[in-house]
Amino acid sequence: MSTREAGLSVPAAGERQQKKGRGLPETWWRHLIALIAAVISLFPVAYIISAAFNADNSLSGSSLIPRHLTLDNFRSLFGAQQHVTGHATFQNAHYLRWFANSMIVAGGTAILTVMVSALAAYAFSRFRFKGRRLSMLALLLVQMFPQLLAIVAIYLIVLNTGEVFHFMGLNTLFALMLVYLGGALGVNTWLMKGFFDTIPAELDESARVDGASPSQVFWGVVLPLAAPVLSVIMLISFIATLNEFVIASAILETQQKFTLPVGLWQYIDQKYSEHWGPFAAGVLLAAIPAALLFGFLQRWIVQGLTAGAVKG
Amino acid sequence: MPTWLITTFSGTVGLVLKIVLLCVVNALTIWAAAVLADHHKWRAFGVLILAALAIDAVYLLNRKWTLPLKFLLPGTVLLIAFHVVPVIYTINVAFTNYSTGHILSRSEAIDSIRQNSLTESANGASYAMTLMRDDAHRLVLALVDQDSGETYIGTREGLKPIPRGDVTIADGTIASAKGYTKLPLRELGSVDTELSDYKVPVGGGKAIQPQGFDSALQLQPTFRYDAKANTFVKIDNGAVYRDDGLGSYVAASGDEIEPGWKTYVGLRNFSRIGHSALIRDPFLKVLVWTLFFATSVVLVSFALGLLLAVALNKPGMRLQRTYRIILVIPYAVPAFLALLVWQGLLNDDFGVVNNVFHTSIPWLFDPWWARVSVIFVSVWLTVPYFFLVCLGALQSIPAELTEAARVDGGGAWQVFRKVSFPLLLVAVTPLMIASFAFNFNNFNNIYLLTGGGPAVGNSPIAGATDILISYTYKIAFASGKGQDYGLACAIAILIFVIVGTISAISFSRTKALENLA
Repeated sequence: MSTREAGLSVPAAGERQQKKGRGLPETWWRHLIALIAAVISLFPVAYIISAAFNADNSLSGSSLIPRHLTLDNFRSLFGAQQHVTGHATFQNAHYLRWFANSMIVAGGTAILTVMVSALAAYAFSRFRFKGRRLSMLALLLVQMFPQLLAIVAIYLIVLNTGEVFHFMGLNTLFALMLVYLGGALGVNTWLMKGFFDTIPAELDESARVDGASPSQVFWGVVLPLAAPVLSVIMLISFIATLNEFVIASAILETQQKFTLPVGLWQYIDQKYSEHWGPFAAGVLLAAIPAALLFGFLQRWIVQGLTAGAVKG
Repeated sequence: MPTWLITTFSGTVGLVLKIVLLCVVNALTIWAAAVLADHHKWRAFGVLILAALAIDAVYLLNRKWTLPLKFLLPGTVLLIAFHVVPVIYTINVAFTNYSTGHILSRSEAIDSIRQNSLTESANGASYAMTLMRDDAHRLVLALVDQDSGETYIGTREGLKPIPRGDVTIADGTIASAKGYTKLPLRELGSVDTELSDYKVPVGGGKAIQPQGFDSALQLQPTFRYDAKANTFVKIDNGAVYRDDGLGSYVAASGDEIEPGWKTYVGLRNFSRIGHSALIRDPFLKVLVWTLFFATSVVLVSFALGLLLAVALNKPGMRLQRTYRIILVIPYAVPAFLALLVWQGLLNDDFGVVNNVFHTSIPWLFDPWWARVSVIFVSVWLTVPYFFLVCLGALQSIPAELTEAARVDGGGAWQVFRKVSFPLLLVAVTPLMIASFAFNFNNFNNIYLLTGGGPAVGNSPIAGATDILISYTYKIAFASGKGQDYGLACAIAILIFVIVGTISAISFSRTKALENLA
């Protein structure tokens, strides 16, 4: 690996020097690296927070410490103050819709994905049946072909379905959710199967001896024990769905139906500099649900990450 | 053990729930089947009925083989419908000419050509027209031949005379007709689109077509279709247009009739990528950039993440928790928001980055700076992931191992290189491969920052920062020259082959790595 030398000569050299150093704590280089990284990490975040509360709407006029604090940007998002900028009405009417659409689609997908893939993972983990190995192999193979690559086919399928069943055609959140559900199952089933395997089978068996049926074992024994992993997978699939842009932009067509990524993207694409303030406020609000969930589940996320989950 | 869950899903409640759900599924199936039958979609109809029967069988029969299926079925149905079928369909479309101008089936294309070729003729009849509705509320044309004064009712099926006794005529047009109601003025706007393709066939390929809201003309075709030879003949000069096997009727002169139809064209899309300079050159450029982008993002992010993990992996260090929280922030913010914000910060006119550094660098509008920006922002988004993973891996290395190495006389750097790093690599390499595969198709990072642009050279589609997936997307949905689904699907298959091969090779290497450690 070429990174071996490149990445690490700096701290090692530092560590040797600090032994002779006086006055400074011996961890000074650690603090230096962490501080630089912290500044770079925080820079855009600080800017968005400042711009969201800044009375000056434009991008060029924005400075890190707002001269006049205001909530106008948030008000304009909710449509309370239509006169903030000339184009504000355009955004006012739709930001809340985009937000609601995103929450419906991402929340629904996350919950249903976890339910459905937990069911399948349980069968793979606990039952021995004909074709088990074959279907697991098929699952692995299918998930190697990212759903994203089939975007054209998905678009055409939804288009054609919509001609017969309008409620699941183009420009419907329902179709979008179904597509997301199909795409997330493979990976999550594998992740969960791995976790279910670590739950001792003796627990199932003792419940079975007590007279529980397989579905009772699933709901009463396995699911409660798997709750931490299930919530991490739910979070990861929530954030992944929230982030999804390609399929949403192909399927959704009108302002009313946009999700946050599609809506905000075309919004700033049209009027960037003038709408910096409301845009920043919108970004800040949109970041809150995911950040909160992330905070709650932080403890389990690292485990999940090392198990191979990739978040967008 | 939460016993309420067990009691809830056992006995009567569970049984009732199951029966209710099955009833809902079956009711929906019957309704959907009726709709499909109404649209004459018999294949979908068959699949639906079979699927519903299978679901009923699995949940109603209590056999040994139905038990795993009870758990697997919901996922399997969704996976097949929205992942497996699209993949198969993608492969299918890659071997067709499906694109703008080749959307219809062949018979639809022939009909469409016949309709489109209708033009006004010198001796064609002209009519005064009144729009009316019949008993079934269908739109009909009440016509008065302006030469003979004969009166007719024209429908999409044909023209039929209506006796003068059944109509009243005012100002040369039919004011009322027996059995029909005149269309109120306020409804004119709503029939506009219906009217635009309204044709009354009158035999011999000729048709009467409305011109505006109050007159109609008899039109005649410019092409004649010869069903036996499967050719179109241009009526005025006799030129013959033949089926070229690629979904179009083409004359000897190279002239082509629009529209064509959708048909299988074998490996043509793939050979276009290989041979047509207009497609091959941008494709290769995009491919090289995609590989470079994914590799550099993963390696740089890993190096920086590891550096941070090493720096913070010091028990008892002050502010450690605070640093950790701050460093993970870019990861806790949904990526699309961060990307959109960076797009603003990097704006060359009023972007904050240029303001802070007092520069005027076109971060997103110069091909090279745009590439730098895209990699920088992607690294910004990815470092926290590798930081968390590396920190976890470092902390899971048993302290005895590193201490033993120290006792044996190894310096800090040596211990790291010879003990910690190889162990860490075993844990992190599979994640680096996964991250590579993810970034290889990281559409958002490209599209939300630069839209794949800025444009370079002579390619109308591929921009400087386009990766394969965004290039494919543009070919399919955003190309100015129309949409080429066939080509897009062919490229998607190539991407799959590339990513699949790289993953397979790397994973087999990883196994070797594990055995070594």
